[in-house]
Amino acid sequence: MDTVSKVREYVVENFLFGDGESLREDVSFMEEGIIDSTGILELLFFLEETFGISVEDHELVPENMDSLRSIAGFIDRKLNGSSAAEA
Amino acid sequence: MDFHKDILKLDCRSEVERICSFIVQQVREVKRDGIVVGLSGGIDSALCAALCVRAMGKDKVFGLILPEKESSPISAEYATKHAKELGIETETVDITPTLEAFGTYQKRDDVIRGSFPEYDSASKSKITLPADLLSKDSLNFFTLKIDDGNGNVKTTRLNKKMLNGIVAATDTKQRTRMMHLYYYAEKTNYMVCGTTNKTEVIEGFFVKYGDGGVDIEPLSHLYKVQVYQLSEYLGVIREIIERAPSPDTWSFEVNDEEFYFRIPYAKLDPLLYAWEHDIPTERVCEVMDLTEEQVNRAVRDFNAKYRATKHLRQLPPTLE
Repeated sequence: MDTVSKVREYVVENFLFGDGESLREDVSFMEEGIIDSTGILELLFFLEETFGISVEDHELVPENMDSLRSIAGFIDRKLNGSSAAEA
Repeated sequence: MDFHKDILKLDCRSEVERICSFIVQQVREVKRDGIVVGLSGGIDSALCAALCVRAMGKDKVFGLILPEKESSPISAEYATKHAKELGIETETVDITPTLEAFGTYQKRDDVIRGSFPEYDSASKSKITLPADLLSKDSLNFFTLKIDDGNGNVKTTRLNKKMLNGIVAATDTKQRTRMMHLYYYAEKTNYMVCGTTNKTEVIEGFFVKYGDGGVDIEPLSHLYKVQVYQLSEYLGVIREIIERAPSPDTWSFEVNDEEFYFRIPYAKLDPLLYAWEHDIPTERVCEVMDLTEEQVNRAVRDFNAKYRATKHLRQLPPTLE
């Protein structure tokens, strides 16, 4: 399962009560009221656990966390950054 | 609708008359003999007491001062001084034993010790949101900050479980105060006066069935900067007017801005007004000397907090 699909599954199950057919990749979680501030904390925990990443405070910005697409891009950058650093 | 620098400036004389008429009308409507105000030592409750005295006379207003061991010592001192100047009778009840019996401090500290095992009775704690939203964008996440009592500060970002545990415990402070206010009010056939202002109502900065559990809200149509205007007009003591607004429920001192609002009141209130009245962003930028990105950031934050706290402003939903 790719990154977007994993995050989508989590968001739909935990914030949309399973009803996420219309959740497009670019929908803003905050503008649409899908995830509130405590929801972000839940999502963050999921991302750190699932993808084995550590998210710093300064990375908690809408550009990284506000849609399926932005989260997927952020995770890919984190994972690639980690790989590059380890190589 | 127009928007300009003085948009929140009040005609204090007529506004005070309007609020006083409202207070009298409400007390009569429910056939009460007076009104009780919880005096926190902050500006909102100080203004409420002053308005109630102006409306009802000092003999029909009672001030309850409800400190606990983590309140700033100057809170009760300022509350008492202001009450004396108003000439109202007060009673001070230390709510620490009630909170200890419930386990407020223990429950909160147990959560804190999950991250900081060394946290003890000499330590202080607070939670804050990221600072200065207008200068630097970030999502709303709470950080727990502890001080070991010697100025050594440690911080950690809170997860949902820790945040909920700490907030649930801390909110019992406001709910205990509500219990004391209603005990006194029912005993004397008085109303309980609320002290929540409009800035707090919109952003959900109050505790349901805590400081939000009241009979009348004389300030809920006034932004915080307007609370200051009326306080100056009615002669609230300087110490209270000049004090930084704070929830005063955390042992580690924290002001309203760092705890919750993330924007100073002088900018926050006009921005809230603009948000509430759908003022075009371009006009807001022009009047307030802000960029479009800053205004959009504030609007995003208002929308998020307003939506997340909607249930606080409603009665419990029922079936027809």
